Amino acid sequence: MPEVLITLAVNGQKYILKIGAGQGEVDPSHTLAHTLRENLGLTGTKAGCNRGECGACTVLLAGKPVLSCITLAVECDGKDITTIEGLEDPHTGELDPVQQSFLESGAFQCGFCTPGMIMSVKALLRDLPEPTDEQIREALSGHFCRCITHYHVLEAVGRTIGKSR
Amino acid sequence: MKSFRHINAFSIAEAVTHMEEYADRARIVAGGTDILGILKDQILPVYPEALINIKTIPGLDYIEEDSSGLKIGALVKLDALARSPLVRGKYKMLAEAAQSVATPQIRNMGTIAGNLGQDTRCWYYRYPHAIGGRILCLRKGSGPCLAVNGDNRYHAVFGGRRCLAACPSDIATALLALDAEIVTEGTGGSRIVPVKDFFNPLGNALEKDELIVEIRMPDPPAAAQQHFIKYTLRKPVDFAVVSVAALVVLRDGICTEGHISLGAVAAGPIRAEEAEQYLKGKMPDPAMLQEAAALAVQTAKPLSKNGYKVEIARALIARTLAACVAQPPARTG
Amino acid sequence: MQKDFRYIGKETPRKDAASIVRGKAKYIDDLKLPGMLHARVLRSPHAHALIKEIDTSRAAQLDGVKAVLTYKEIPAWRGGLPSHLGVLSQTVRFTGDAVALVAAESEAAAEAALDLIDVQYELLDAVYDAEEAVKPDAPQLYAQFPGNLFPLACPWMGPNSLQQVVMGDVNEGFAQSDIIVEGSCKYDNIPNPLPLEPPGVIVSWEGPDELVVWSSTQAPYFLKMLLYYGMGRINVRSISAHCGGSFGTKAAPWPLVYQAAALAKVTRRPVKLFYSKAEHFAAYTLRLGSTFSGKIGIKRDGRVMAVEGEWLINTGYCSDAAQGMVAVGCGEVQLLIRCANWDIRPKLVCTNRSASKMVRGYGGQELESAFLPVLSMAMEKADLDPFEFFKKNYVKPGDDYYWRDGNLWTCRGTDYAQAMEKGAELFGWKEKWKGWLKPASVNGAKRTGVGVGVHGNADVGEDVSEAYVRLEPNATAVIYSCVSEHGTGQPSNLCKMAAEVLKLPLEAVTLTPPDTLVNPYEFGPVGSRGTYAIGSAVINAAMDARQKLLTRAAAMFQCEPEELDTEDGMIFHKGEKGERIPWKALSVEHTYIGYGRFEPDFSVPNFVMIFVEVEVDIETGKIELKRVVGATDVGQIIDPQGLRNQMHGCLGSAGIDSAIFEESILDKKLGRFLNTNMLDYKWRTFAELPVFDSVILETPIDTHLFKAVGFGEIVTSPAPSAVLMAVSNAVGKRLNEYPLTPDKILKNIR
Repeated sequence: MPEVLITLAVNGQKYILKIGAGQGEVDPSHTLAHTLRENLGLTGTKAGCNRGECGACTVLLAGKPVLSCITLAVECDGKDITTIEGLEDPHTGELDPVQQSFLESGAFQCGFCTPGMIMSVKALLRDLPEPTDEQIREALSGHFCRCITHYHVLEAVGRTIGKSR
Repeated sequence: MKSFRHINAFSIAEAVTHMEEYADRARIVAGGTDILGILKDQILPVYPEALINIKTIPGLDYIEEDSSGLKIGALVKLDALARSPLVRGKYKMLAEAAQSVATPQIRNMGTIAGNLGQDTRCWYYRYPHAIGGRILCLRKGSGPCLAVNGDNRYHAVFGGRRCLAACPSDIATALLALDAEIVTEGTGGSRIVPVKDFFNPLGNALEKDELIVEIRMPDPPAAAQQHFIKYTLRKPVDFAVVSVAALVVLRDGICTEGHISLGAVAAGPIRAEEAEQYLKGKMPDPAMLQEAAALAVQTAKPLSKNGYKVEIARALIARTLAACVAQPPARTG
Repeated sequence: MQKDFRYIGKETPRKDAASIVRGKAKYIDDLKLPGMLHARVLRSPHAHALIKEIDTSRAAQLDGVKAVLTYKEIPAWRGGLPSHLGVLSQTVRFTGDAVALVAAESEAAAEAALDLIDVQYELLDAVYDAEEAVKPDAPQLYAQFPGNLFPLACPWMGPNSLQQVVMGDVNEGFAQSDIIVEGSCKYDNIPNPLPLEPPGVIVSWEGPDELVVWSSTQAPYFLKMLLYYGMGRINVRSISAHCGGSFGTKAAPWPLVYQAAALAKVTRRPVKLFYSKAEHFAAYTLRLGSTFSGKIGIKRDGRVMAVEGEWLINTGYCSDAAQGMVAVGCGEVQLLIRCANWDIRPKLVCTNRSASKMVRGYGGQELESAFLPVLSMAMEKADLDPFEFFKKNYVKPGDDYYWRDGNLWTCRGTDYAQAMEKGAELFGWKEKWKGWLKPASVNGAKRTGVGVGVHGNADVGEDVSEAYVRLEPNATAVIYSCVSEHGTGQPSNLCKMAAEVLKLPLEAVTLTPPDTLVNPYEFGPVGSRGTYAIGSAVINAAMDARQKLLTRAAAMFQCEPEELDTEDGMIFHKGEKGERIPWKALSVEHTYIGYGRFEPDFSVPNFVMIFVEVEVDIETGKIELKRVVGATDVGQIIDPQGLRNQMHGCLGSAGIDSAIFEESILDKKLGRFLNTNMLDYKWRTFAELPVFDSVILETPIDTHLFKAVGFGEIVTSPAPSAVLMAVSNAVGKRLNEYPLTPDKILKNIR
């Protein structure tokens, strides 16, 4: 059986992984969330429901926000993936403006939903630098937050937009 | 989830060959937003041995118009459908329906064909195996339907037979109002299945070795005004409790043609033909729209817990028609 | 507003803020131990059954499986209140109850093993309703609890813990009443608090009686104590990861610890047990089910003369916290209304569904959601504005109430009337209130209505806290307080308090990790006690350490310690402009440890008033939650952003939306929950947020140095009944059911 490899380009770094059932290998049934967390040690992407129903696992796949817990890792071969760990400057550690705004606005409580939300906001502001309030809420509508940090998150988004003007 | 063989298909023919080879033992994966949840909860009596990935088939993500109407490739994502200027212009209700589905992330992943082919949301059917064992039922091949005497608040109010689950696809509701057809390919060749014939109480018309390759629909009637409304407990995320897609053609203030499609109330979307007939030749004032709505639901046979859906449907139909009527005339051509 | 503090009341980034936004904060499922096994639980298909035969041999032989345990092979650890639960039982008492435990090298192997365990059950009759469960011919869940009734004593709250609200003479009270109403209301939709992160634990045995537990508990020390007593007085080191939301539900996950520890014991390997979301829904923690039936008598002017009734409580298949919630609920209802004559008798009942356990609201939400609609019938009959009624009746300084320990306490808190008035003003209550069952406005099919509720909790001063503060020569301080981060920001706030006392830069103050090995006694940040109780211990410890530092310095300055002060790590004489010496000048080989302690004080109830405005579409039954105003007085704001976040929490943890669409739907023919996923269980999205405004006053309250009282745990409690009131007013008909989904609205207004 020929060895099958996949290449995941995560946060600008290429990872070559073997498809298989062994330790450290990627089973066809493994989700992208699982592979990011377990194989690559990138635990910033969270698994809240593992069913694609809460948004916590949101990453950018080819630039688009997707639910990594219902995305198969093997189907991400050759694709560009951005996770929360990829937002800060890799050399200086300086936070991305969205991250910085979340920090300043106290836009988190337990923090479990935060990475997923930041990814969706990142994609939104890249596509729509000055979104309407409705567009912001829409972009975040797939994110469950139980502590109810929504209002501070909206403030953080506003803060980011304000800074970039 | 349990393992499976993952097979990339690089052409429709290849996909069909795999499907024929595996028959019941494999499933198609497109966007994955439905099938992966089904696998994780192990709701099926037999777990598939393989998933056949059709995202690797090139050339199935087009939205094109020709003289006969609109053609949409099976792999067009819901987000692309919702944003397409062509669809938003002439086939407005379809864009509205696509936009109403789930959440932004799901719309980035899910495809139009996947939305049509998705499995039922009946909560007996979807009961997770991990919490005391999956529930078997008629739809799964054995066992009674538990919704009959159970909690059927989200189930069908029209034509419930053998399986009472309602069709969860918002796209289907709009496509029916647009008289769309589904183009399939299988080992037997290509078929065209009108949307109205696609759904049945236990599933859909696809054979085991057949997949959807295209959705097509004619030009809407000139000067047609369209609207789609989806009623849910929450916005967005939720599947429809009731959805309505309507199209009205007005000539000098008189309705010459009307299409009314109801979703989430039966095994597939249904056209309210009697109400459509009633609309013809009439001036659409509020009383007339209420009458049309009443006609549309008069054959409803609610179950023990879903009578409220009939009331909501009636209100929604009147409102959708009113929204059509209130719009400025659609551009033609 | 008080004096200008450096940190208190100021916006300061949380200490863990950067780690959270960077995705670096470590939650329980982010942690791995070398050699760790994965656990899975086989769950019962039946709501009530006896395991007749169980064969695990096929499962045990599966590649990668290291242990399979049944009720025959588990240690004799105990749990529940009173003790009635083991690690596993031969009798399963709810669909989803644990039948067997598997530990394997991978999650996939553990999962696969479950289907290889063969079980034969003898089915037993099941009962789901509390009313049915107390009937003489009902199926009995436990031999030792006849009538399916649990005793109400809560020993850890004291030997006289509150088990009812009985005082005065209700007959006399009714005789003096102008208006008497009788009624009943159920709040038994048993919503799920549903933090985003599912529960999980990792355990490792370091020796035969030495257990290390990692969990997401907000209260690691409390968990350690529970485990100590339940597992035969073993040494437990309890460590907390970042918690992805608790709302009380993750404070004491002892059942998961027992399951994992039993597997870890036989395999001699660390074991992780992390629940799936479905398990989080079906087999973890729900709110109590609650029914109030009774009679209330009032005077026309709103004075309450008599309250009599039964509080019937459904705790699911077991009890481990319910008695505490009964005690506090009984206390909290007395804070709501001034009344001399009470006779409320709780009954705590078990039924065959998953457990109701500790949740924010802690019995008070469950009682009030059932009680206030009945009370509002009396207000309606007397045509009293409910806002005025609550303002008149809420406990004031000098009023007495029995608290959870069974003792009579005198309120020495704040008179919250001003906060209420400000809240009403911001909400526009006087303009919007049109009378009972009258909409605030009508616009075609849309009707708006308003409602209001209040709540408070004297548990802000509950239980004991200890803290140490260690001062280092380099002018830094370490606080020893066993508190983990579960969303409230308390770890950072304790640093703010110590930094304020020590006048150190905030960056110079850190908190020890939430690890019982290195920390003194700490009951835990529950019930909003963080600000007053834990804060007091930390403040006292900081002051004690400071005193030790200045005492040593006084020798060098040749004066009394009281004449010295320290700021930014420099010590100086307060009066004279003299030398300023750094801490390290005293000695680099000397640290200073201060000790602080807090003893329980139930005399300072906090408060919240929640106003809601809804719009109901009477043709479709849809409720839109348009506006919420929350009003409170906290004495002194410690953390402005955190406080606002807590107020917004009214919309979370099975709070306000338990009146609109949150419910755990139990099919009583099958004995199964039907909505154990995040689509069928409804939660509020960004797209449908109400406008939310807060009134937060600061009237100094005599608690500790910063005159603050805790806030947050109470915000969910008044909301469900306020929504019922608002919707009833909108549609012009009294609606008494939870939740008010469209089918119920349409059925009632047909």
